[in-house]
Amino acid sequence: MKDFVRFLAAWALLHESADEGWKAAIRRGEGLEPGSMDRGPDAFVDGLAALVNDEKERLEHELASDGTDDHGPRPVDLADKLDAVTFELAELRGRLESLQASVDALASRRED
Amino acid sequence: MSERGRAIAGVALRRAVVALWGVRFGLRRGRSRRRIVARQLRLACEELGPTFVKLGQLASVRPDLVPAEAVFELEQLQDRLPAVPTDRIRAIVAAELGAPPERLFATFDPDPIATASIAQVHRATLANDYRPVVGPVLRAGASVAVKVIRPGVEGRIAEDLTVASRWASRLERLPHLKRLGPRSILAEFRSSLRSELDLRNEGRVADRFARDFADDRLIVVPRVVWRHTTRRVLVSEFVEGWRLNELGDAERSGIDARGLATHGAEVFLRQVLVHGRFHADLHPANLFVTPDGRICYLDFGIVGRTSPEQRIAIAQVLAATVYGDADRALRYSRELGLDVPERDAGAVRDAVATLMRRHLVGQEPADVRGFALGFLSMLADFRIPVPEGYGLLVKALATVEGVARSIYPDIDITRTAAPFATRLVAAQLGQPRRLRERLPAATRAALREILA
Repeated sequence: MKDFVRFLAAWALLHESADEGWKAAIRRGEGLEPGSMDRGPDAFVDGLAALVNDEKERLEHELASDGTDDHGPRPVDLADKLDAVTFELAELRGRLESLQASVDALASRRED
Repeated sequence: MSERGRAIAGVALRRAVVALWGVRFGLRRGRSRRRIVARQLRLACEELGPTFVKLGQLASVRPDLVPAEAVFELEQLQDRLPAVPTDRIRAIVAAELGAPPERLFATFDPDPIATASIAQVHRATLANDYRPVVGPVLRAGASVAVKVIRPGVEGRIAEDLTVASRWASRLERLPHLKRLGPRSILAEFRSSLRSELDLRNEGRVADRFARDFADDRLIVVPRVVWRHTTRRVLVSEFVEGWRLNELGDAERSGIDARGLATHGAEVFLRQVLVHGRFHADLHPANLFVTPDGRICYLDFGIVGRTSPEQRIAIAQVLAATVYGDADRALRYSRELGLDVPERDAGAVRDAVATLMRRHLVGQEPADVRGFALGFLSMLADFRIPVPEGYGLLVKALATVEGVARSIYPDIDITRTAAPFATRLVAAQLGQPRRLRERLPAATRAALREILA
């Protein structure tokens, strides 16, 4: 039993140390200037830790909000939506042009 | 019985007798028998004309409905007919668009560039600029392809389908064939055929494909000129290039054939697994390679669709297949509706593993078509029905390989499919909804592992 508790304590200690190291890397990464991740392995790891942390928080928020985000859509979603609506509009224009061609053809046949 | 009905019955009977003789009146069994019958079925379709050629083409993308041997035989259907005189084509254009082609276009070539069972294609040039739904403006003088439905083809198809309906009703009375549901299969094919006879549907699909691949500079989808497009006439950008079945060593030498074949395979996987909308009539005659080394998609008459749920399961089966993991492939196959009876599970698993070893894993290059044919035949041997989405995947993979090899004969598409499927599976696992589904079970499993 003692060995088992000691194993769990070792696991907790390892986890705590890793967690502290991770948080420190995030702090350092957040302090980096944009574009400075290529200054060496340490800067890369710190920058990556900050990026992962950002994504983790975003994911945490998405999971908690169950897709009903009251902060509104992200810019990338807006761009996608704008693109989709623009395409639909162009598609509709195409349909109208095709219908117009059919109407013109029927009208010219009636005139004949 | 109408004259056409008698003609159809005559061809069907003659081909059935030849098939019966070929299978030695039932003495030949299994795959050999199915192969002989499939060949006679293809020849009968070619003999019976446009309706049956089209029905055969539709059947060739549905391994869930017809045996594997027929699927791979029917994809070879020859869809060529003599040209319709240009005056009759002119008359259709004038009736559809209100003016003869010479007044609508700057130039119109009276000699067709392609003739098939449903439509004939002529080359022309635009008289004015046109802004398409997707892509830059087509300038006056740009070359276009004018696709026109052949005169009388709609009436002929309606007449043939009426005869086929009567036959389907008769066949449905036979207990052995009733479970296949010939009437519902015919109804489904009738609806697909009706959609194909309205060329506006093809134009819409082309626009959607163009949008799906707008960011891919190696893919060309001809821009549709809606101003001159109606139910029976489709006008789209003319793209110069070589059809894949015309691609020789000289043409290949000027382009990065290997890169293009790899990209072509990935693009097709993107259609099936990302966009959920794919060119289901993909064969070397429907694809062009342009002189500047791009792939041009043509003829969007038959389009397949995959649901988001199917896409996830298909990606998993695909990943498991290309990595040679039979257990995983069968596990995810169940999510696509493949129902392997418990008593056959071990034998089916062993058969799949053998097929993977024989055709895929460690083979240089892998033979996906051989695997697909062997796999579907094995399911038929075990009398396991093929679900629609599943048949789609197997056929799609074999098609991708055929097309990619037309561009670069030595390509191994599993090398493209493996990283693609892995990325896709990883991306799907990273989606919030999937994570939300999987996190509780993953946490429980991790705790169990630690406390074990």
